[in-house]
Amino acid sequence: MAEIVMAYSAAHAPMQCADPGSAPPEQGERWFGAMKTVREQAQAADPQAAVMLTGEHFTNFFLDCLPQLAVGLAEKYATPDARWLNMEGTEIKGEPGLAYHITEQLMANRWWPALAYEMEPDHGFLTVYHQLDPSWQLPLVPMVMNCTTPPLMTLRDAYDFGIALGDAIRTYQGLDRVVLVAGGGVSHFVGEPRVGDIDEEFDHWFLEELGKPDLGELLDLPNDELMEAGNGTGEVRAWVAIAAAMRGRKPTVLSYEPIYEWINGMAVVSYAA
Amino acid sequence: MSLYQMQKCLFDYLRAKKHAPRDQKPDVSVEGYDLNDEERKVVETLDVGKLSAMGTHPVIINSLCRSMGYRRADYRPLLAGSAAEPGRTRWRKS
Repeated sequence: MAEIVMAYSAAHAPMQCADPGSAPPEQGERWFGAMKTVREQAQAADPQAAVMLTGEHFTNFFLDCLPQLAVGLAEKYATPDARWLNMEGTEIKGEPGLAYHITEQLMANRWWPALAYEMEPDHGFLTVYHQLDPSWQLPLVPMVMNCTTPPLMTLRDAYDFGIALGDAIRTYQGLDRVVLVAGGGVSHFVGEPRVGDIDEEFDHWFLEELGKPDLGELLDLPNDELMEAGNGTGEVRAWVAIAAAMRGRKPTVLSYEPIYEWINGMAVVSYAA
Repeated sequence: MSLYQMQKCLFDYLRAKKHAPRDQKPDVSVEGYDLNDEERKVVETLDVGKLSAMGTHPVIINSLCRSMGYRRADYRPLLAGSAAEPGRTRWRKS
């Protein structure tokens, strides 16, 4: 049976790869230092595959047909967005056996993700994946969540989904060691009048609640109140799903940096043993 | 008004632009989309402020601004007209 040997959640602001030097040097140093720490924690656990959750940015789906959840089942994924993110890779290997098993088990628990036999990992995945495995050898199961287009899953829905996802991974017999990752959050505003703002008060509050037993008040946070922290901030649904999959293990906040040059509250939280 | 048709037109334009060779810049085309005169004009001129005010999805606005080479400081003022009053939250002390 597979074990989730390591899990973490990290912001996926594209500027961290497209223009990393644009951050104030001390903040950039702390941020990339924390990302190096999670990479080392993950590598020490010797994972055979990564399952990664992130928000949909109209890269793979649009309003004509937008699933709340989708699982990538492909053998490999082309990565045209790597170019503007200053990455040389052109494709990432998939892990279709694990992806199929996850889908099947989610359905057994009454979750109904869309099936994506073709998917293009955008910055939501690539920024985090590239720092997890700069060699791009780790097979990936990409999963997208609708985090920006109402009606949306609540954080409680995301938590319940995360329990099912963790259980699904842990019943897979084809691999022994899997790393589980969320990309996105914390607060940011995109394409709207507050673009560039960071709700630092929300970010501190969210990270504190995330570390509490049963996630404090997070699961009762209404969607409209969550939206007040930024229309991109809903990507913390993926963080809550990871917290659920790793319930019982306390997260460690490795970094929080409000990097205004990247228009994003940048946090990384680790569930390393 | 067809907000969806407007957004679909912009999405198709952005996708065509993304996949075009670097030396080619496709124009936005409103042919085949069910738009009224105002929508057609706003889309053809890529008027970001009006598109936002008419309800265009922020992810599309973001992609559009990026594709036009706008920096945040350039386009934030263009969106100011559609700003909403902040609501109450449990975490905000100020």
